[in-house]
Formats: sequence, structure tokens, C-alpha cells
Amino acid sequence: MVVNSLAFLWFFLVVLVVYYLCQPKKLVQNIFLLICSYWFYAQVDIKMTGLLAILTLLFWLIGHGIGKAIDQKQERRASLLTTLSVIVGIGALFYFKYLNFFIGSFIAAANAIGLHLSWTAAHIVVPIGLSFFTFKLMSYTLDIYHGKIERERNIFDFANFIAFFPTILSGPIDRPKPFFKQLKQSRLFNPNNLMTGFRRVLWGMFMKMCIADRLDLYISAVWNNFEHHSATSILFASLLYPFQMYADFSGYSEMAIGVALMLGFKVAENFKRPFFTINIAQYWSRWHMSLTSWLTDYVFMPLNIKLRDWGTNGTIAAIMLNMTFIGMWHGADWTFFLFGIYHGLWYIPLMVSGQFFKKTKIKVNEYGWPTMPFVIKMIVNYLVVTFGLMLFHSNNISEFWAVLCRIPEAWNDGLFFDMPTLVNAAICSVALIYVDIQEEWFTKKKPYLPRWAERWRWELTIAVEIVAILLFGIFDSNQFIYFQF
Amino acid sequence: MERNEILEKVQDVFREELELDDLVLADETTADDVEEWDSLSHVQLVVALEKAFGIKFTSREILSWDNIGDLINCIGKKL
Repeated sequence: MVVNSLAFLWFFLVVLVVYYLCQPKKLVQNIFLLICSYWFYAQVDIKMTGLLAILTLLFWLIGHGIGKAIDQKQERRASLLTTLSVIVGIGALFYFKYLNFFIGSFIAAANAIGLHLSWTAAHIVVPIGLSFFTFKLMSYTLDIYHGKIERERNIFDFANFIAFFPTILSGPIDRPKPFFKQLKQSRLFNPNNLMTGFRRVLWGMFMKMCIADRLDLYISAVWNNFEHHSATSILFASLLYPFQMYADFSGYSEMAIGVALMLGFKVAENFKRPFFTINIAQYWSRWHMSLTSWLTDYVFMPLNIKLRDWGTNGTIAAIMLNMTFIGMWHGADWTFFLFGIYHGLWYIPLMVSGQFFKKTKIKVNEYGWPTMPFVIKMIVNYLVVTFGLMLFHSNNISEFWAVLCRIPEAWNDGLFFDMPTLVNAAICSVALIYVDIQEEWFTKKKPYLPRWAERWRWELTIAVEIVAILLFGIFDSNQFIYFQF
Repeated sequence: MERNEILEKVQDVFREELELDDLVLADETTADDVEEWDSLSHVQLVVALEKAFGIKFTSREILSWDNIGDLINCIGKKL
């Protein structure tokens, strides 16, 4: 059940009505929410609902054990239990996502040196949302161990945090502390939350259905048949791909955040206009922020602290490992591994030159626009991201290599231009870019609106968004790109 | 060393490392209150603090600090 489907709309309408009928009894609201979350997950992946429940129970028990060990000052026990929880979390991820890949790679390497091994890949179905909820599970036990939170004594509240239906499929990856805090209060009907949430859902739908899905028509047409397309078409499709990814995943995130807000929950943000950045470090601080901040806190920071006596070399080692994790988190293939390494390598000149440690802000001119040197740096950074995403988009390394080889071969052929698709996408993209520019550089300057329009601003925006989605949207929709992770 | 003295010395280290001459720290100051204090500068600060006080923190101690107050308590225990 995708968030922008009719089935979800009906489900959510019923949830919303019953949920606010339960107010102000927070216990009833929470139990109802938990039932809805499990029902939702069962609709999407019935076979794995049991696994979700078992992992939840297991982590709750381990968290309980860690908390108790800390209370009784049994440091070693707390540390052992925390390690156990990380092994279980990583173990689940490894089994479902990476087992076939690692065995396959090992066999291929063995065969390459002359050993004749054969092997049939095991049929393992990856539970939907696994990469997202295992990270939530691990952050819970790690936070207890590091004294950031107390153990959660109410298993239903803990289960609610893990299975929260707006974010279980593709994040944002929320943290235990702010979520538990919100669960402990009853969520009263608040028209403001409802309206803001609804607007974010609509905006997300616009990004997904009018931009991402539309661009996908063109990009897939070129990429899936790259051997018949010209270099210009391949490069043009590649340049559009980061923008499609942004519209797709940021669009999804807007919907998830909006749905959560309509239920009275403020969850983590995921994107902050990532292309208005001048280097790769800045880009990653604004792209899939809930994942990068998770890895910063639980992978990069502990590593950097451990290696702190090595100075810059220690930070480089921590970054390289961290970026490799980011790459591999997306899937079990060498393309994702190289995607991580590629981004990690871009950090090295930043660190060596000291730019990484300084916060360079984009300078603006007297009219509030970024100055030319910074615009050029933003464009260069976009190109760096584009090349990385070409790797990300490829099904395997040989496909990536074949695409690269096709570029010099087909240099003289013309551009494949699918007029209706690209014009539609361009109109909607202009709206997205305009909104992003306003939010990045002109937040203080409100656009001029006549008085009647100012009065009906909210209603008008919602009406315009609905009309735009109906006019430009694609309804026989694709899955979200990030559902596969 | 008195708690106030520790705070003053910590403040000096922060001012020097973050190049913020006017920075004023209090027990409740967190990384969110100081823009320059992020995950990267945090490790630089830790190294500088260890050098200034002649102590060594464990990873768990460093990761458990929520604010300057926690940091000062931790240093206090080691002196």
C-alpha cells in the first residue's frame, strides 16, 4: 500500500477519525495507533510481520537488561548486552540483505583464482523497511547504554516507536528520545497540525507524481536502452537523475512527515535543499539527513573518537568507513560499495585543505542571490553528485562501465527529446525550484499577494496543489525508489 | 580544582578551538546553541580538553555528554 494510493487514503481517513475520537486518553490512542501500524505493515508484508514483532520484543528485553545492568553498576554486563543487540541488528540486516551477495562474491573470487566452486543463491526475501527499522532498534539499545535515554518500560510504547506506520517503510529514521516524549502526551485535535500536515502530504505528492514519476519516463527510456541512445541523451538523462531522486525521496519524506504531523507527531526531517551546497560534505548534511545523522552518531563519531590520536588521518579513516556504510546500506552490490567509496574520496581534499572543518557559508549579493563563484561551485557539486548517482543507478558494475563506454562512441548523435514528458516535468520542476530558492534565500521576504489572496492563502495553496497534481500527476504510479532499501 | 575554575578553563579551550572570542558557556549549553560546535569540532575539542587537563576520556564518557554541565562533571571526577 503506497502512501499516494486510494487504499491508503481510505485507511488513513478511518485512522484519523477514530484516533481523535480516542483523545484525550493517550493510552487508548497509543494502543489504537499500534494496531493500525501492525495492520498497515501486514498489508504491505504479511509474512514478515512476525519478524517485526519478534525483533521488537527481543530489543525491548535487551534494552531492559542494559538499563538494569546500568542501574546495578554492572558495566561489563551492560556493554555485553549492547554488543549483543548490535550483533542481532546487524545480523538480521546481513542475513536478509547481504548473505547472498557476500557468498556470491566469495565464490566468484575463489573461481577467479582457479578453485572450482559452485553455489546456488538462497531464496531470501528482504522484509520491507528492514534497513529502516533495524536502525531504530539499534539506536534504542545504544542510547540506553550511552545514558541518552532510560529504558522504556512500556512495551507498547516501544513497539509504537518501531512500527509507527507513517515512517516504517522508508523513514525518516526517527530517534527514540523525541518519539517517546511525544507518546507520553495525548495528541489533541489541532487544526494547525492537520492543515500543515495535509499541505506537506500534498506537496510530497506533487514532487513524487508530477516531477519524479514524469522524469522517470524519460530517464528510464534512455537508461534502460542506453546502447541505442546518443551520448547527449545519456548525459542529459544522467543530469536529470539527481533531481528525480530528490523529487522522489524528498516527496516521499514530505508525505511521511505530513501524515505523522496529522497524527500529532513531529518526526525527523530528511531533506534540506541538498543541491544548494558547494561541497560533498555540505551535500550529505542535507540529503537523507535522518540516515546521515544516524550514521554520524553511531558510526562516525565513535570511530572518530577512537582514532582521535591519529589527527586528520583518523578522521579520514572514519569518514571512509562511514561513507562505505552509507553506500552499502542502500543494497548488496559493488555499485553501492563504490558509490560510498567515491563519496568518501571527495572528503579527502576537503579535509586536507581544512575546508571540512570550516563552515563556508554561501555569500549573497545585495539582492539576496548567491554570488557567481558560489553558483559555479554549486553547479560543480551537482556534477560530482550526478556522477556518483550514475553508479547508483546502474544495476551492476559492468552496466555502469558499458554506459561510460557508450558516451565517447555515440558522441555525434542527436538528443532524444520526448517533448510532452519533458515540458510537463519542466513546468513542475520550475515550481519546486522556485519554492526551494524562496526557502533557502528569501524566507524573510514574503511574495506580494493582494489582500483577498492573503486572506485565503492556505485554502488557495491547497487548491492550486490539488489542481496541479490532477493536471500534471502520473496516476499509474511507480513504487518509490527508496522502498527497495 | 573548583567547578568554576573547570568551567573557565573549558571555556578558554572552546574559545580557542572554535575561534569564538566572545563565547560564554554555562552548564546547560549544548551543541545546538553553538553553530560551530558539530560532530567534527567535537572531537577536536575533546583532544584539546584532554591535553589542557592532562586526562583521557573513554568513548562512552564522550558519547554520554548532553551539555557542558555533563562535561564538567566528567572532568571533575578525573581531577
